[in-house]
Amino acid sequence: MGTIEVRGLKKVFRQAVKDPGLAGAIKHLFTRKFTEKTAVSGIDLTVEEGEAIAYVGPNGAGKSTTIKMLTGILVPTSGEIRVMGVDPFRDRMRNARQIGAVFGQRTQLWWDIPVRESFALLKDIYEIPEDRFRRNLNTFIELLGMDEFLGLTGRKLSLGQRMRADLAAALLHDPKIVYLDEPTIGLDVAVKENIRGFVRALNRELGTTIMLTTHDLKDIEDICRRLVIIDHGRIIYDGTIEAVKDAFATERTIHFQGTFEESRLRELADRLPAAEVTIHEPGHFSVRFNRFVTGAPEITSQVMGVAEVADFRISEPDIEEVIRKVYEGGIELPRLTGMGA
Amino acid sequence: MKGAKKYVSMAVCSMQNSLAYRFSYIMNLTSGLITLVSLFYLWKAVFRGRTEMAGFTWQEMQTYLLVTFFLGCLLSWYSEGRISGKILDGSVSLDLLKPLDFQKARFAETVGSLAIEGVVSGIMITGLLGATAGISVPHSPLVWVQFLMSTAASVMVKFGIVYMTGLICFWTTGSFGVVWARIAVTNLLSGALVPLAFLPEWLQKLAEVLPFQAIVHVPASIFLGKYSAPDAAGMIVLQFAWAAVLWMCGKWMWKGAVRQITVHGG
Amino acid sequence: MRVRPIRGLYLYWRFISTQIKAILEYQADFWILVVSAVLTQLMGVVFIAAVFARIPSIDGWGFWEVCFMYAMIYVTEGIGSLFFEGTWRMLRYVNMGELDRFLLRPVSPVLQMLASAVGMNGLGNITLGCALIAVSLRHVRIEWTALTVFWTAVLLLSAVAIRVAINFGSNCSAFWNKSSGNAVPLAVHNVGEFAKFPITVFSHGVQLFVSVAVPFAFVSFYPAAYLFGHEDWTRYAYFGPLAAVYAWAVAYGIYRMGLRRYESTGN
Repeated sequence: MGTIEVRGLKKVFRQAVKDPGLAGAIKHLFTRKFTEKTAVSGIDLTVEEGEAIAYVGPNGAGKSTTIKMLTGILVPTSGEIRVMGVDPFRDRMRNARQIGAVFGQRTQLWWDIPVRESFALLKDIYEIPEDRFRRNLNTFIELLGMDEFLGLTGRKLSLGQRMRADLAAALLHDPKIVYLDEPTIGLDVAVKENIRGFVRALNRELGTTIMLTTHDLKDIEDICRRLVIIDHGRIIYDGTIEAVKDAFATERTIHFQGTFEESRLRELADRLPAAEVTIHEPGHFSVRFNRFVTGAPEITSQVMGVAEVADFRISEPDIEEVIRKVYEGGIELPRLTGMGA
Repeated sequence: MKGAKKYVSMAVCSMQNSLAYRFSYIMNLTSGLITLVSLFYLWKAVFRGRTEMAGFTWQEMQTYLLVTFFLGCLLSWYSEGRISGKILDGSVSLDLLKPLDFQKARFAETVGSLAIEGVVSGIMITGLLGATAGISVPHSPLVWVQFLMSTAASVMVKFGIVYMTGLICFWTTGSFGVVWARIAVTNLLSGALVPLAFLPEWLQKLAEVLPFQAIVHVPASIFLGKYSAPDAAGMIVLQFAWAAVLWMCGKWMWKGAVRQITVHGG
Repeated sequence: MRVRPIRGLYLYWRFISTQIKAILEYQADFWILVVSAVLTQLMGVVFIAAVFARIPSIDGWGFWEVCFMYAMIYVTEGIGSLFFEGTWRMLRYVNMGELDRFLLRPVSPVLQMLASAVGMNGLGNITLGCALIAVSLRHVRIEWTALTVFWTAVLLLSAVAIRVAINFGSNCSAFWNKSSGNAVPLAVHNVGEFAKFPITVFSHGVQLFVSVAVPFAFVSFYPAAYLFGHEDWTRYAYFGPLAAVYAWAVAYGIYRMGLRRYESTGN
């Protein structure tokens, strides 16, 4: 039994349709027509304790709706959710004690009071013991660099400051599970790095279960091991990030350092099918190839035949490229067996 | 008039907007109707066993209530909220980028919504007329013409006051207090709360020298035939004079208010 | 979930004091709100005075009795504004998805919502209203026994509870109506107009409506009947606490129904 267990989860929004004009408005008073919009259509998901999973998909795929059902904000149309054994909507308060959530688009801080006081208020709300509160707060202040803005009111914070404060606010009570919905959206690179490092440490060192939705694929690579892709309200992939890379990144690049003759290298390139040689600078060249046509060992041995190789490295395939292809429908993903699936 | 076209299209746009918010408007009308009904019963109880009070018969009082209700429906909360709303949410700075005069633009919007408000409340009043038999409607066409002119002037005066109270929001962070205070003062001194004749002498004197009476007292009195035709004409001229004065005051106030934008950070 | 009243009160205080601190920073607004509330209420008194200047009583109810009803409507409104203004923010919370924030915390969302705003205008209403109540009670001879004191306290508390419940319940219309602003709660709020006067002047339908459907009569009229000793209406006054429980049950029911429809949209 996982920390989060989801079975057959569905969410359908009903939207009222009105005919145009005053007549339509009056008619609407008596007869109501609705269109149904299925945001989440039958999801099964199991998350084990201490996992860090990335929950990604194109806009409108149902990511946020899922997270909101998991946190107890929305009531599912059908299906079952257990978060640490608790139904989040029915037993919302109990669920709320064991989770933390950051919604990147929306702050949970109080607008009109200094950040420090927002934290103190949260201490009372979650009934955090004084010593634990102090310890956590001091840690967060240090790790997230919050010293400079603790005295500012919520409304005066920059986006980066606000996000860091929100992150701290969601974690003060040591939640076992943390949901992060677009936690780095709109932030500059330095703050993004700071937040990623922080969340990674949270997962690796404290064993906090992390569920992350994001459009920034660097977030995924830095924080998560498991990837769940959702589209049109359905999970279309659930497995490790390595597995999806292995399976779907068709192109690989090997970088070589050493001495070589350019002409012999060109000849080699012509001989190898579906491969391309690029010379970057004296003593450095790379070979890009389709790994389903030629294997990496084959490439290396061939290259070693024509050049004196001092060092080489295989560059990792780009997850971003893979996921983009999935979104665009360019790749048909078979349902892989990953962790927990 | 050159350059008037853009204001006309603003008015049309505002008319469509009002239609979009019709449910809201109808609910607001219902609120007004509740007040009307409660006042109707109250006055009915007050007039029980009496034929006349402060120069009003029960029949005239009913008419007065209906006319007040009608005038109150014109230039509703929606128009009022839009002016202060623009200032409070900072979108006023976007208006400054447009080649429009802020005051004229707001007036155009008000007139646009007014068309819808007038029609809806007109229909409602007609319905109410059917329900209450004892209402006195003027017979002379001249009185009708004067009443319509007076109503037009009433709207202009009300706009002048509403516009200036809206501008106060440049100095505050909320609109409710300002608007409530405005409503309280207007209701008392315009005669919307109770006919001015019911007020103590000194308050009546005060009301006579202030612009508020142009909003309800004058048009309602014309409708009830309390003025002779020449007197009514004189009052209408006075109403328009007030409208002009308030317009100029609004213009002058805007000049001072607009400087606050940088402070407000809008 | 265990209900813990002390902790609830403590948290309520923590939330509301936060709001008070914030609002006191806008001094100009503070005074404008207080003054506007006083002005609005004074208009009502002027109205009553103007009417009673011409007649001694309406339907057997005198000037001070009507003043008392008027003041009850305004005092309870003032308490609603000062301590429970959050009810009027429901529309924003639902439309902008801000309810999420309340739902994520292990504290009753209703408590958080009630304590989420302060309307300083309430201060004006309460001050003037209480003064008016005190003055009008001096014009009636009441034998203050333990029982009358008890019932007066119960009726006043019920009046406040009913008022807040009506605000809360009607503002929950936000779950159904997204585009019409505060129009529905304002219309319901306006039903209070009927309770500013002795309901005996209205038709039976209206009397029933403000006693049962939207029980504003228990905010002003029935307590007045009890205190001023209008025998034929006094017995209904004892239903005040019941009306309060009923109003809260209905309001909370509406809220629970609405919450199931909550879509948490908007950014």
